[in-house]
Amino acid sequence: MYTDFKGNKVYFSTGGINLVNDKETLCFVHGAGQNHYSFTQQIRYFVSQGYNVVAPDFPGHGFSEGNQTTSIEEDMLWLSELLAFLKIEKATFIGHSQGCLTILELAEKKPELVRGLVFVAGAMSIPVNDFLIDTSIDNPEKAYDLMVTWGQDNYGSFSISDWPGHNHLAEGNAVMKMNDSSVLTTDLKSCNLYDNGKQAASKIKINCLAVLAKFDMMTPLKKGLQMVENIKQCDYKILECGHFLPIEKPKELNALIKNYLNTLK
Amino acid sequence: MSEKYKFDTMSLHSGHVPDKETGSRAVPIYQTTSYVFKDTDEAAALYNMEIGGHLYTRISNPTIATLEQRLASLDGGVSCVACSSGMAAMHLVVTAICSSGDHIVASNKMYGANINLLQHTMTRFGIETAFVNPNNLEEIEKAIMPNTKLVFGEVIGNPGLNVMNVPEVAKICKKKNVPLAIDATFNTPYLMKPISYGANIVIHSLTKWIGGHGIAIGGAIINGGNFDWGNKEKFPTISGSHFALNGISFWEEFGPSALTAKIRAEGMYNFGPSLSPNNAFYILQGIETLSLRMKKHIENTKMILEFLKENEAVSWLRHPDLHDHPDHKIAKKILPLGSGSIIVFGIKGGRDAGKAFIENVKLSSHLANVGDAKTLLIHPGSTTHSHLSSEAMKMSGLTDDMIRLSVGLEDIEDIKIDFEKGFKAAAKISSKRS
Repeated sequence: MYTDFKGNKVYFSTGGINLVNDKETLCFVHGAGQNHYSFTQQIRYFVSQGYNVVAPDFPGHGFSEGNQTTSIEEDMLWLSELLAFLKIEKATFIGHSQGCLTILELAEKKPELVRGLVFVAGAMSIPVNDFLIDTSIDNPEKAYDLMVTWGQDNYGSFSISDWPGHNHLAEGNAVMKMNDSSVLTTDLKSCNLYDNGKQAASKIKINCLAVLAKFDMMTPLKKGLQMVENIKQCDYKILECGHFLPIEKPKELNALIKNYLNTLK
Repeated sequence: MSEKYKFDTMSLHSGHVPDKETGSRAVPIYQTTSYVFKDTDEAAALYNMEIGGHLYTRISNPTIATLEQRLASLDGGVSCVACSSGMAAMHLVVTAICSSGDHIVASNKMYGANINLLQHTMTRFGIETAFVNPNNLEEIEKAIMPNTKLVFGEVIGNPGLNVMNVPEVAKICKKKNVPLAIDATFNTPYLMKPISYGANIVIHSLTKWIGGHGIAIGGAIINGGNFDWGNKEKFPTISGSHFALNGISFWEEFGPSALTAKIRAEGMYNFGPSLSPNNAFYILQGIETLSLRMKKHIENTKMILEFLKENEAVSWLRHPDLHDHPDHKIAKKILPLGSGSIIVFGIKGGRDAGKAFIENVKLSSHLANVGDAKTLLIHPGSTTHSHLSSEAMKMSGLTDDMIRLSVGLEDIEDIKIDFEKGFKAAAKISSKRS
């Protein structure tokens, strides 16, 4: 669904359905260099489960236009303003990778917006090595290849998919190519700069869920577990897959989110 | 293109890990029409294409999905739909994108059935096609109209063996915002991956080299995921509202895989050209040795070209790897490993001599197929293209004396001996005439 927001055309997926006032809202927040397609197998599933779903493409990502946000703090502000614009007062936020940093920041700065938090393949900080940042500047397509390849375990690398006929590696690459070519660099730098995750995590007072990937090479499992330790009440599950968990293990992730949402009722 | 493993490894492993329940190393044949739902939630989610999985084999099947995922990974596509034949694949692509009033630009040197589909069948449904010389870039560009929704060609034309300049045609299509669909049957992804040269859709007849053993008919559509379908006015079937699934836009919900989602949700549902799981299994066995076979096909082709070049009974000889082929330069560029294993040649003495040749070879089989492990021959003018008018045949580069040879994997010395018998019989006809 498209809207004019802050002078730009902005896209947010609702699963093709209009938002309904009296339904609970789930807000899916994508990671670095990604867009709403990260959650293709979550968005429409949860719409059918009776939720409003909002999965925005951040500025410059996917179908959204506008100048890219350049820090996690800006990501958080943009997202909270978008939700206000859409008249959404409270939501459960599901973040993937960089999206986890955004929702951590949101939980600290705008707790009144947060009903629940699900961290998918996340951590309190996501330092990015210089090689990947430099490659994203010099040769964005090479950087996409590296991220997509690192992001999958053998299961995904051999195009094993519950989704008939899908090749995750090429699909991940194609999703990243939909964004402006400077998007990935800016996102990676935002991740690299963010240092408020530990404090934000320590202030969360609600029960959260973390779904972590055993073979995650982008946000290693041990960093995800450190985040879990720093949040007062955070259940966690570890799935046998790589960083692009929503694509590699969609059914398992959906079941975990569904169970978590039931605990919030 | 993101690839963690090399071609040979993907040929063996993509799309499959040992079965969790049984440990089966080979891909199991799921010979079933349908699948028991875990609960009503899952059933609804599958019907609504919210999650991956299988509900009915007309739409998808685990054995077929393994084949699809293997093909997608070998061709560098984002997704694939396998179907009952190469012609079904072409039909699915056309009907997924085009509606009455739309227009297609297609090569005039394609396989006869491809031409028939566009020239005679699709026109009955209001879809018109402009046929163009696939090697004339200017003609292709000029033929693209505001209502053109698809440009279609073959990497290696059948049976004329012209080689389409895929990278340059892809540039034109990108400039004009029209998807380029390429039939890559004659090259297979081992010799050339059209998506890496800018094509958007790849079509294969799996019956040929990919299956490779002449035992199973099948087709596939590989989606490059590299085309922007976002123009709702131009591509309403992909980016507009779908009649089912709560009226979703495939482009908004499935993005790079929008085309294959559309094909599965509409083409496989409503037309039903599904591949059988058994055939998917047979084709998978073929793919496991694709690179080995293609190497040998190419090696044998080189040797038989040398043999035919020297043979006095041969009046003319055509293959893109020959220096005198008009498309040799582009063939060297986009098909560096070899331009496939089809050779066409003429026999001195015309139609009757050609007939005598075909009737006197024993090891080589006279039949209507290509890409088998065995050497195959046919006389297109009296068989595969007999339904085309003389003018249409000429446009496809056909002549009465033309033999199409699909070079197999036999010991090439045996094939040469076999051909000598055929040439001897042809020479008798030829000498009677002179």
